[in-house]
Amino acid sequence: MADHDLSKTIIPYLDRHLSFPLLAHLAEINLYPKEEVQQAQYELAKGTNMADYAVSLFEQIYPGKEVPTEFDEKRKNVVEKNERLQQEAQAVLDVIENPDVAQALRQDKNQNLQYLKDNYNLTLEQITALYNFGQFQYSYGNYSGAADYLYHFRVLSTDNDLNTSAHWGKLASDILTGSWESALEELNTLRDTIDSRSPASLLASASASANNLPDPALSQLHSRTWLAHWSLFVYFNHPQGRTLLLETFLSPTYLNTIQTSCPWILRYLAAAAILSRKAAAGVGAAAAPISSRVRHAIREVVKVIQTEEYQYADPVTSFLKELYIEFDFEAAQRELSLAEEVVGNDFFLNEFKDEFLDNARYLISEAYCRIHQKIDIANLSERLNLSQEEGEKWIVNRIRETRMGADARIDLENNVIEINRPPLPVYQTVIEKTRQLAVRTQALGVAIARSGSQGAAAAQPQTTKPDAAIQTVAVN
Amino acid sequence: MSRFFRQAGDSDSESSESEDELMSSEDEAPPKPSTAAKPAMSRFLRTAGSDSSDSSSEEEESESDSDDHTHREEADEEESDEEDRPQIRILSAVDKRLKEMEATGKVMENALKINDWMAISNEFDKLVRMIQRQQNLSEPVPAFYIRTLVNLESSMNASNAKALTAMKQKIKKAVKEYETEVRKYQEDPETFERDYLNLVSRDVTPATVTQPTRSGAGIATDQVDEFTTVGKGGKAMQFTSESIFKNLQAVQEARGKKNTDRAEQIRILELLLDVANTSYQRIRVLLALISSRFDYNSSVSSHMPTELWLAAQREVDQLVSIVAADHNYSIQEMTDDYDELVERSPTTEKGVVRIRGSIISFIDRLDDEFTRSLQNIDPHGTEYKVLYCTICRAQAFYEKTSQTEPLGRVVMRRLEHIYCKPDAVVQALEAAADTSEVKPEMTLAKQKTTSGLVHALCVYLYKSGNSLLRTRAMLSHIYHHALHNDFYAARDMLLMSHLQESIHSADVATQILYNRTVVQLGLCAFRSGLIKEAQGTLQDIFTTQRVKELLAQGVHQQRFQVMTPEQEKAEKQRQLPFHMHINTELLEAAFLVSSMLVEIPLLASIESEEQKRKVISKPFRRLLDFADRQVFTGPPESTRDHIMQASKALQDGDWEKCRDLIQSIKIWSLMPEAAAVKEMLAKRIQEQGLRTYLFTYAPHYSTLSLSLLSRTFSLPLRTVTSIVSKMIWNEELSASLDQSGGVVVFQRIELTRSQQLAQVISDKVAAMVEQNEKTLDMRLGGTAWGERTDGTKTEKRGEQAQERRGRGERVRGARGGARGRGARFSQGLGNQMPSGQRGQ
Repeated sequence: MADHDLSKTIIPYLDRHLSFPLLAHLAEINLYPKEEVQQAQYELAKGTNMADYAVSLFEQIYPGKEVPTEFDEKRKNVVEKNERLQQEAQAVLDVIENPDVAQALRQDKNQNLQYLKDNYNLTLEQITALYNFGQFQYSYGNYSGAADYLYHFRVLSTDNDLNTSAHWGKLASDILTGSWESALEELNTLRDTIDSRSPASLLASASASANNLPDPALSQLHSRTWLAHWSLFVYFNHPQGRTLLLETFLSPTYLNTIQTSCPWILRYLAAAAILSRKAAAGVGAAAAPISSRVRHAIREVVKVIQTEEYQYADPVTSFLKELYIEFDFEAAQRELSLAEEVVGNDFFLNEFKDEFLDNARYLISEAYCRIHQKIDIANLSERLNLSQEEGEKWIVNRIRETRMGADARIDLENNVIEINRPPLPVYQTVIEKTRQLAVRTQALGVAIARSGSQGAAAAQPQTTKPDAAIQTVAVN
Repeated sequence: MSRFFRQAGDSDSESSESEDELMSSEDEAPPKPSTAAKPAMSRFLRTAGSDSSDSSSEEEESESDSDDHTHREEADEEESDEEDRPQIRILSAVDKRLKEMEATGKVMENALKINDWMAISNEFDKLVRMIQRQQNLSEPVPAFYIRTLVNLESSMNASNAKALTAMKQKIKKAVKEYETEVRKYQEDPETFERDYLNLVSRDVTPATVTQPTRSGAGIATDQVDEFTTVGKGGKAMQFTSESIFKNLQAVQEARGKKNTDRAEQIRILELLLDVANTSYQRIRVLLALISSRFDYNSSVSSHMPTELWLAAQREVDQLVSIVAADHNYSIQEMTDDYDELVERSPTTEKGVVRIRGSIISFIDRLDDEFTRSLQNIDPHGTEYKVLYCTICRAQAFYEKTSQTEPLGRVVMRRLEHIYCKPDAVVQALEAAADTSEVKPEMTLAKQKTTSGLVHALCVYLYKSGNSLLRTRAMLSHIYHHALHNDFYAARDMLLMSHLQESIHSADVATQILYNRTVVQLGLCAFRSGLIKEAQGTLQDIFTTQRVKELLAQGVHQQRFQVMTPEQEKAEKQRQLPFHMHINTELLEAAFLVSSMLVEIPLLASIESEEQKRKVISKPFRRLLDFADRQVFTGPPESTRDHIMQASKALQDGDWEKCRDLIQSIKIWSLMPEAAAVKEMLAKRIQEQGLRTYLFTYAPHYSTLSLSLLSRTFSLPLRTVTSIVSKMIWNEELSASLDQSGGVVVFQRIELTRSQQLAQVISDKVAAMVEQNEKTLDMRLGGTAWGERTDGTKTEKRGEQAQERRGRGERVRGARGGARGRGARFSQGLGNQMPSGQRGQ
């Protein structure tokens, strides 16, 4: 099963500290030899300031051996540095935590800075101390402290780069402390920052490419890739996470990112699409806020999986492919049993294993029933990896709880389900077709009225546009 | 005739009469037999003969007297000039070469004594070149050359750093080349020399006879690099190494003037090259010589004669090797002014001698001329290799001197020679390039595969700043990927490059390259069995009906407008040489077959006239309609006939006939992996045949056994089930499967007339609103309004029932091009239309 394990692919896109949970998970599931995983953990810890943790890991790996002295030194250094930085930061913190100051602070950062400088003699350098201390705390594992300091820093600082960096730091800290709500908030703001950078940098891109600087578009792609990986932590832990994941990853920009730089994310996309099936298909009108994107997630995901098939395939994606592209139910069933194992072993997905299985079964039965008229229960149970008894129970439940119930009947004598779907009446299709027309026409009218009021002067260049469009078509 | 023969006889007897005359008759002897067959030439020949005998005898009498020759009649002189040239050259070359070689050998021996390896190296180069020329004229290799080789090899133990090692390599190479001779010589030097002398005296008796005559006549051939010849207008021109620059300047001044005889100029320069003995002189002469070779034919339309081209190529090679071997000289397009008449050397210039000139432009020109000649004559192999070697050598040179701009151009040239070639050809080219002494950084040997080589070249160009080169490199790279059936990589690169947006503003050559790339991509998709992709890719280029023109493989005849001659000429120049052509017939076959596979099931699924207008492949439809109208169809002859009849067979559900027809198309043999492609086609035909069959005959069945279908189309049951399921799921087919019975159950609803009409009108109204939206979209530039419509659309999509889900996509598809074909189906043709119209 190790060949479907994504830890190795994902870890390069994660922060050092974020990798610890992943490795801990790997140590639990025995996919790799335990020693190797421990070795990896040790190597990872060595690079951080968490000297104690590294030492304990070292002792685990080499039980009898002497702990290298470098850790002692390191520890000492860390403690010293910690104190120094804390003193620096404390000065700022004292000022900020003063209730008078808290009240005096406004939205405008520049104004705030000026205010702090005038009244408390607080300069930008001192505020940067907050950042340094936060970063340092993060590096030795005090994540909640780090989150605090970085938050304060961000409120005050005007430095764009450091702010973004603080954003990332805060997100990581929130993830590691497990405060998913704030992590989600952080994630969203960070996403906005990354996205909003594009229009400004578009102008710069022309000059940048001439100067041989790293292309802003490229760096944006990089940050998006990173964000996609980090967000997995949040999305698979936050209660609303799966639908939000679909919402984010199916937006064109992130879909592009996934397709170009990290196709393996498709596994999580596919899994999320399957998991959120109920939310999508379920309560219908009651779940109105769910966007169409999520509603048709599976269809969209299948499309992407099909186009990216040559780049990436694993049991989860091929399950969807077999089911919705090939309609090969046997193969789908086979893939499902493989996928079950993969999901069970995956760090992000393992908690959702049962839910995943349940939903996947539902998808199979739905597709199967739509295509078939008369179904042998034994056969269907087999398709769903269930015994006949279980299968019957399961199917009955399905029929009861979904709208399928209206059309399907179980014939116990022959042990078959008969599905009778009356074709859609003609008048209904006509109504469907014409329903929206009035609204759309109104919208047209509004648009015309608005453009008319914009003035005739603007109309002149606009009328030339259709010609241009036609020309390009002709040339094509 | 008789007069002529007598004349010929006369000169023969003359020659036997006196020793003085012997030389002149010697002059005349070779051309006479060959021209004797042409009576028309006889008059020229006679005068020519007498002329040159005159001149030589006169020279004999008084050398200084040569100015007197001016009094001759102009016409006579012109003729003689034409006839003279080759003869004089041959004569002077034969003895001069030998002498020169001997002198070189002597210099080398001297240098050997004082251990001056630098000088030896230079001299040896010269010697090797001379031997090369000797061989070109199929004359025996002189014995003393072998002797020198052996001597040098044995005395190679001295220690003198760089020059020595370079020399060692050269010697090794040369020794290897003449291995047998060397061995013979080592066994018995005396016999070998004697053998050679015998050989020479037998072969070149006349030459040896002439030698004493000439020296006896007092012409200044004693000195190695000095001799006299009769220049135009009878003036004796003295070519010595001292006067080289003067002569060079004279030639350069004459260059471009109206009545300069270009051939004459080239000849003078060739002679100058022979006498030039320092690197500086050689470079200067070569620069002038190469440009005048390119000047030789001024007209743009005709191509360079092959011999001239070869000579030019050799000279460029020589030039590059001189400059590459000697770091003290560099050729640059921009230099400080310098006195053209003064000999310069590294010592006088204190370092690097810069000479004005541009190797890259020579190579460009060489390549262009080559392409042009390929456009006009049959493709030939050997020059190709030679040219490629030259380019490689130049690349190595630029790499060494790290001049980025010309290096980019050279790399591009090289890339252009290999990107469209199959592996075997590239390997052959690279093998040829490998034998040259200087190697560029990127070779096949280092990169292992041709793709690796192309990748390395392209990556270099991507990094270079020039955007045009980058674009072309990108296209070539994509082309190469496509050629190697790497469809996804090629497609992704093409899409990510965003070239399709900017290609309209590119220059014509790049556009042609773009078209070629797109077409190759289509073929690649076809080969890998991605029929829909192939159809979509090739569609664009075939709807224009100007495939040949767009690929620059033929001039398009426009029926209603006449092209101006200039246009035509420009068009002709753009044409690609034959070996780069993409076979248009194969292309058409691929396109039509993929169109057939896409279109026929679609046609079968359509019932009403209305929907028939939605066409995917117009050219295919047109052909099909045309074929339909024909009263009598004979056995298929052309590729098109085959495909049309196959289409009909497919429509009738007769997939076997369709398959046979398609597979019997001969043009497939031009495709690599033809067998695999045919197999793939057979499979696709089976599948599409099944689909077509279902669409066509569904109204006539209420149930259909899956096993029967599987037997009829000899597909495995699983595939059949999968295909049928897919059609049901996509609502192309209103049916369902009965698992226990193993049958497809078709469902039909009969619509009343009014229901039917109601549907039609609702469709039309919807279409109208859509059209309005689109029009407004265009009016408003599609910004604010466009977003809003998108918004309403997605909202709408959410609300609509599943049956209508394809709609929003169809709208997008219509905007974005040929996307979402499946969506077309899901518009609900499946179950709502009356079945009565289906059969047609």
